[in-house]
Amino acid sequence: MAAMAMERGTAAEALVGQVVLPGDLLLLPAHYDEDAEGERLRLSAGTAPQGRLLCGPGLRRSGAGLLVTKCGLLRHRPGGGGAYWVDSQQKRYVPVKGDHVIGIVTAKAGDVFRLDVGGSEPASLSYLAFEGATKRNRPNVQVGDLIYGQFVVANKDMEPEMVCIDSSGKSSGMGIIGQDGFLFKVSLGLIRKLLAPKCEIIQELSQLYPFELVLGMNGRIWVKAKTVQQTLIIVNILEACEYMTAEQRKQALAKLSGN
Amino acid sequence: MAVEMEVADGQCRLRPFSCELGLLSRPDGSAAFLQGDTSVLAGLYGPAEAKISKELPDRAALEVLLRPKVGLPGVLERSREQLLRQTCEAVLLGVLHPRTAISLVLQVLSDAGSLLSCCLNAACMALLDAGLPLAALFCGVTYALQPDGAILLDPTARQEQEARAVLTFAIASSDRKVLMATTKGSCSVEEMQQCLAAAQRAASTIFQFYRDSVRRRYSKN
Amino acid sequence: MKATPLSNCERRFLLRAIQEKKRLDGRQCYDYRNIRVSFGADRGCCIVELGRTRVLAQVSCELVPPKPSRPTEGVLFFNLELSPMAAPGLEPGRQSELLVSLNRLLERCLRDSKCIETESLCVVAGEKVWQIRLDMHLLNHDGNITDAASIAGIVALCHFRRPDVSVQGEEVTVYTPEERDPVPLSIHHMPICVSFAFFHQGTYLLVDPTEREERVMDGLLVIAMNKHHEICTIQSSGVVMLLPDQILRCSKITAVKVAEITELIQKALENDQKARKEGGKFGFAESIPNQRITTFKMESAAVDTNDVEEQAGEIIAKADPPSEVFASPVVHTPGTAQIGEGIESSWGDLEESEKEEAAEEEGESEAAAFECEKVETEDTSTLKETKSDEPIVLSDSEEEEVVILEPQELPRKTRTQTSIKQENPSKKAFNKRRRKKRTSR
Repeated sequence: MAAMAMERGTAAEALVGQVVLPGDLLLLPAHYDEDAEGERLRLSAGTAPQGRLLCGPGLRRSGAGLLVTKCGLLRHRPGGGGAYWVDSQQKRYVPVKGDHVIGIVTAKAGDVFRLDVGGSEPASLSYLAFEGATKRNRPNVQVGDLIYGQFVVANKDMEPEMVCIDSSGKSSGMGIIGQDGFLFKVSLGLIRKLLAPKCEIIQELSQLYPFELVLGMNGRIWVKAKTVQQTLIIVNILEACEYMTAEQRKQALAKLSGN
Repeated sequence: MAVEMEVADGQCRLRPFSCELGLLSRPDGSAAFLQGDTSVLAGLYGPAEAKISKELPDRAALEVLLRPKVGLPGVLERSREQLLRQTCEAVLLGVLHPRTAISLVLQVLSDAGSLLSCCLNAACMALLDAGLPLAALFCGVTYALQPDGAILLDPTARQEQEARAVLTFAIASSDRKVLMATTKGSCSVEEMQQCLAAAQRAASTIFQFYRDSVRRRYSKN
Repeated sequence: MKATPLSNCERRFLLRAIQEKKRLDGRQCYDYRNIRVSFGADRGCCIVELGRTRVLAQVSCELVPPKPSRPTEGVLFFNLELSPMAAPGLEPGRQSELLVSLNRLLERCLRDSKCIETESLCVVAGEKVWQIRLDMHLLNHDGNITDAASIAGIVALCHFRRPDVSVQGEEVTVYTPEERDPVPLSIHHMPICVSFAFFHQGTYLLVDPTEREERVMDGLLVIAMNKHHEICTIQSSGVVMLLPDQILRCSKITAVKVAEITELIQKALENDQKARKEGGKFGFAESIPNQRITTFKMESAAVDTNDVEEQAGEIIAKADPPSEVFASPVVHTPGTAQIGEGIESSWGDLEESEKEEAAEEEGESEAAAFECEKVETEDTSTLKETKSDEPIVLSDSEEEEVVILEPQELPRKTRTQTSIKQENPSKKAFNKRRRKKRTSR
């Protein structure tokens, strides 16, 4: 039965685009040829990868192959050495270095702001990590403000640290988010979908009315449109996008633009 | 609800199963699991901030709370919480989230027999729904030993009362290993081994159920 | 677990939206969210969903002696619990103000309104009455716990059936459900709470606030009313001062809402009653919607257990036989046994008294003797030793009993525990703590 075969391990390529569960063992091409008398099996994407195979979220190296640790759809990217990862739906955010997130200021402790980013620990943000900030010229941040920044330190053993400048010292869109607008939370999978290049949802929405949008990888979205009504419409559509198919979304938008 | 009895030719039956994932909006992961008329709702938060007194330096601190429907939790609930916690810790990769707290709360919605295995199944589905890293899945199977020696799978409350012994096992999905075994009543070694072997068979059906329900969940992507 | 803080921008936006009479989910100011009632297979069990707020309620009954001040009335007990799964900020065991105020409000709504006829719960005046216990659990917190809990409570009470009793002189017979059909409770009316949230110092009000709206509100007004337009309870909290005509307006809105909700409840109860009578399927499994992708059902499945006995036999044959090292336990008194000998203790002064212990009372003994594993000589896995039947008196006081326990774990370390009893030792059974150590972990 398919269930029993999983335990011995199935080829990773065979499962790309299908649902995998924790405990499934994925065999990589280099080891897959054990059954075929030493003959290397084909598969353009996976034969003797030149670079290093990247093992993404939801997968762990385990002996013969990759062990799946989260349930979701298995994805594969052939470029470079190839990369495998599991696309799963999750609500809880775990800080990752380099991610851009929206944080809520919870405390000001001396030189450092404490931000809630939705993870297991509050992140710290130094007041000097803003563009143009000096000891005399402190940024005007109050408790309860929203800040868009990126992680410079984020691993499981240390407290996460954020900055609002990039490596060259420019803010490049990061910093304190304005006063108006609305913040709401969605699942992490939806954020990834929205951040994909040429996302249909954003394009269709932008044809409705102009709005400002900030997407944080921790599942938080900040929206600002001209009126409260327009903002609410965008919020509701984005929240509903999780479970709507493309057709349902187009219908909903058509109804709204007809009004 | 039809209650299935053992069929004479050596076949045991599981009651009709249902499960719903992600039905609560606040917890990070939630699942409702129904086995016949027994149903358990599980909600999970994690990995989240842990109290200093409870945090562990190298892995996540898992806390399990089992709430009965009527009355305050007593000794039976506490012992079941320990069993559930040990089973979950065996599969959870807690080392990926040190100094955090994972809190799993189970609420009994109705009890018509095989409650502990229903709790185990609900806990596993909640862990799946929350996206916590797991090394394997687990499921709970209950067998009742009738006075004449016959074994009954997934007993109802009445069958549990009339049975000589009730055995519950937690079986892992990798190689069908046994993660937890608890018995009530007395049985011989042979009978326990028989129930264990039968439980491993039943576990395959339950894991297929998990797979199908997760497949359905991701069918729109 | 800490709850997510509310940012300034959310607060400002919500207040601005309320000023423009707009709500996050598109409702009108006086609209309720969708209410869904589902029943379990047991009588008196129901789950109410008010939008995303979910409350479970269960009614149970038991025969108890009545309160001395009211010998002909039954006893009602209400309890609402905020389950830790309902919201990240709720932790077990901490009695927050919110919980206390909710419980108090629901008690006033259900008990003081006399919606249940307590005289009919009397079985034998002064001796036996029914105690009706209503347990409610909050499963998901998305605002307006009060209304959801009050609906769940009254629905569960209407759904519940208590066993039938008959009294002949002094004898009380309680019939099981198979012998005689259980009877419903006699409920006069159905009080339902309706909550109003006030904003901007009482200028704007919203019915049925969600969790976010509750965070920014100034005050809350709860009116409990039944469909006969009788106000059962009214409570105002928060920092808002209300004018009399505001309260009158709210009560008019309440009357309308209560009528709608009562109708919904009646319909749900009728549907469930019909399903049970016609032999159709009922219970939580039926109330799970089929069309969602998050739900999945499987019919009863057969599991092949044909050659289980052979497989089990093989395993036993291959396994090592259990070692016969441990001798049969020596039984001193019922419920206590001794296997092996302890190791010499190395604590100076207490060496003598450690080997002696007070004997167990004759009266009660522990539940069942249990098997112990093989005792290895390196590990001290000693059970408590009980010597002869006479107690070793270590002190003159008759009220104290000092018990010194055997060393455990390592031969070097010893631990003593004392427990002090208030009463005469012979009256109470004293359960000694058994130290059973598993040699392999």
